[in-house]
Amino acid sequence: MFRILKKRPQKQHPIEGMSNRNLPLSSELDKNLQILKSIYKGCIDVIYHPFLIAGKTKALLVYIDGLSDTEQIDSSVLAPLMSKTIDKSINLQETCENIQLSNIRVVKTYDDCIKNISNGNPILLMEHEEQGAALGLAKWDKRSIIEPESESVIRGPREGFVETLGVNISMLRRKIRSPNLKMIKMNIGSYSDTSIIIAYIEGIANQSLIDEVQNRLQKVEVDSVLESGYIEELIEDNVFSPFPQLLDTERPDVASANLLEGRVVILVDGTPFVLIAPVSFFSFFQAPDDYYQRYLISSVIRIMRLFFMLISVFLPSLYVAVSSFHQEMVPTTLLLSMASLRESVPFTALIEALIMEIVFEALREAGLRLPKQIGAAVSIVGALVIGQAAVQAGLVSPLMVIVVAITGIASFMVPRYSEGIALRLIRFPIMMLAGTMGLHGLVFGFIAIVIHLCKLRSFGVPYLSPIAPTIGREMKDAFIRSPWWMLNTRPHLTGRINKYRQAPNQQPKPKK
Amino acid sequence: MHDKGRITAYQMALMIYPTIYATAVLMVPAITGQYVGRDSWAAPILGSLNGFFTAYVLYKLHKMYPNESLIQYSKHIIGHFLSKILGLFYLFFFLYMCGFILKEYYFFVGISLLPKTPMIAIIGSTVIMASLAITGGVEVLGRASQLFIPIFILPIPIFTIMLLKDLDPKNVLPILEHGLLPLLQGSAAPQAWFSEVFLISMFLPFLKDPEKGLKWSFISVFAVMLSLVSLNLLTTFLFGEMTASYTFPVFKAVRFISLSDFFEHLEAGIITIWILGAYIKITVFYYALVLGTAQWLNLSDFKPIVLPFGILISLFAIWEFANLQEQFEFSKSIFPFYVPFMLTVLPTILLIIAKIRTRNTIKKKPPRISNY
Repeated sequence: MFRILKKRPQKQHPIEGMSNRNLPLSSELDKNLQILKSIYKGCIDVIYHPFLIAGKTKALLVYIDGLSDTEQIDSSVLAPLMSKTIDKSINLQETCENIQLSNIRVVKTYDDCIKNISNGNPILLMEHEEQGAALGLAKWDKRSIIEPESESVIRGPREGFVETLGVNISMLRRKIRSPNLKMIKMNIGSYSDTSIIIAYIEGIANQSLIDEVQNRLQKVEVDSVLESGYIEELIEDNVFSPFPQLLDTERPDVASANLLEGRVVILVDGTPFVLIAPVSFFSFFQAPDDYYQRYLISSVIRIMRLFFMLISVFLPSLYVAVSSFHQEMVPTTLLLSMASLRESVPFTALIEALIMEIVFEALREAGLRLPKQIGAAVSIVGALVIGQAAVQAGLVSPLMVIVVAITGIASFMVPRYSEGIALRLIRFPIMMLAGTMGLHGLVFGFIAIVIHLCKLRSFGVPYLSPIAPTIGREMKDAFIRSPWWMLNTRPHLTGRINKYRQAPNQQPKPKK
Repeated sequence: MHDKGRITAYQMALMIYPTIYATAVLMVPAITGQYVGRDSWAAPILGSLNGFFTAYVLYKLHKMYPNESLIQYSKHIIGHFLSKILGLFYLFFFLYMCGFILKEYYFFVGISLLPKTPMIAIIGSTVIMASLAITGGVEVLGRASQLFIPIFILPIPIFTIMLLKDLDPKNVLPILEHGLLPLLQGSAAPQAWFSEVFLISMFLPFLKDPEKGLKWSFISVFAVMLSLVSLNLLTTFLFGEMTASYTFPVFKAVRFISLSDFFEHLEAGIITIWILGAYIKITVFYYALVLGTAQWLNLSDFKPIVLPFGILISLFAIWEFANLQEQFEFSKSIFPFYVPFMLTVLPTILLIIAKIRTRNTIKKKPPRISNY
């Protein structure tokens, strides 16, 4: 049905007047300069620096202000080249030998030149040369590595990815030093030309998975990729779902752990959030702490998270269903107090619950985007409005406030924001169902969610695995976190290759 | 193949378990109680023999025609024309059964949970939910039952523990006071339910591990038998001879639970959990109907006919019985003969014919047609 919409427009050349982009460089320096100037017409940040090598050969340095290290240009390039006095004119190769730089590449077309210039590598062009040199002097201001704010831990590394791709790659490489950590580079975005890296570990990740990720990324034709969320929506399996099918993380340790389980990490330049595929529903309930703290505590906390996930989705609906359809389920004493508390409330339980939940969501969203100083004010107002004024005004019953409070706390227990927000939103339709059909509607809401989750896949891996389909071997890391000496095998999705991740029987015990 | 999905034998067993058990738990204890009284625990054991037999017959048929369902392979056994008539019989039977289960579901849920809700709302919403799963194919069905069935089974041991203080094991004595005849009469109804294991014939072609198909079918029948025996024992321990006088004795037993004045009136909770199993049962029959129709008409895809058949099922459910008593009487008197005839006797006849035909053409291999 949606096949009509899938027709893609023909790929056009993004920048007009660039028909000469793929031409090779000319041997006349003036012509090269003219063409480059026509390409960069109106770009005031491009700097053309003409100079004479050894006082004889005409040369030109082109770079973008702020993307290149000007101090290095002066000291390592211009100074040695201009100070020399040689009688005969020299060619490009000899010139490069005189430049005190480790990273020099030869460029032959205007296209190469443009790519290097926009990446911050100055281009050196010379008279009578049909090629130029790209000098690896890219340098711009970077954010320093700080603790990721969206995923803080009690125990664990305090470093997070930054916006610079090169730094992120080096952080992965520092964790996984093996040469088997491979990366595929591709550029997406006709205007932004964003670098995207697919990282995987050869021999652990399934080759078909890598091919699939590559295929899906190659199909993406957009004008820009400003965040990994852009491509997440373009490569996921099921677009009509509130549930995220790729995991995003800012933490190098999470990315490395997933690489070692045979998953693929997609790094995007310009954002600290990397994507991990494939994932299952239970991946979103694994916090990095789980693997660093003691396994018993981690397991209990993980079970609690799943339990409170259920609470956050179903508690308001349960309250609505029980208080409006199945009062007989409530013990008599509680029922009496419920009745007396609800006496002054003019709304039915469903309306009451909807009002409170929507107000709560509004407060949460408002507090999220505000500066910290105003955020505190919002939470005070929210606490007063939700907590006290609404009850005193007789708009809602105190029980409803308790329910909303528990639901709110429970919904923040999901470690991943993308999954948590999905679960928070689906509780509204379930409340409607419970308000119209009681427990029957509530169960149907549950069934609908489960059926939807059963249909979902993340890069071919069933979303509810290892529960449905049941894979006994992988249960050890779903509801509970087994001790490290039991986590001998990698997950199933890696295929049959390289099954074991550590030596068996490592449980510490005294020698017999 | 109309469905590209693949399931494991374990998933199939989890689908078959509620297919037999979900409605058996409502009716069987009362029906067997009327015939055998305190010996009702033995009736499911006798009845399960039919379940094992039916599973065996259908597995044998499946072994002869591994990639097809009964609707498809009957044409190799009794010829094209007769097989189409037989297929039509089965499709009508599935349609009728879908309506039967839905009506039973409505009587039970409607009366105990939603007395004021109109019938069409309950039946319609159930059909819509079932069609949701069916459009996902057999894989989604298998996965959903892997999640639902553990939740569905869990209450039995929990409620047994909660009822422990009220149980009197002496109620079951003396055993077989009136001889074997009442027991045989009493096992007529359970054996009809056990013949519903027939539905494996629709799922066996989708198995990843077909060699385990028979094993898991037997396990599933055995699990149902065990559950029914334990529930019959539970109700007998609790009510004694009075079991037969309740319509739904198991749920009456849940009403008895009263722990520390707080865990009381749990029947709404247990019905809620029961809905999960009943949902799987409805979905399995609905799926058999839709897939069977697609196979019967040689359609390339079954998904477009899911919703039209949903409307048909809803209509059947509304038509079939006027009230619970009528359905109860039907389940007691006609159901034990009608259902096993379709689900056990006809496949047995098919197997016999197939065996004779393959013996006559001993050198020729049975036709194996796969539509991959």
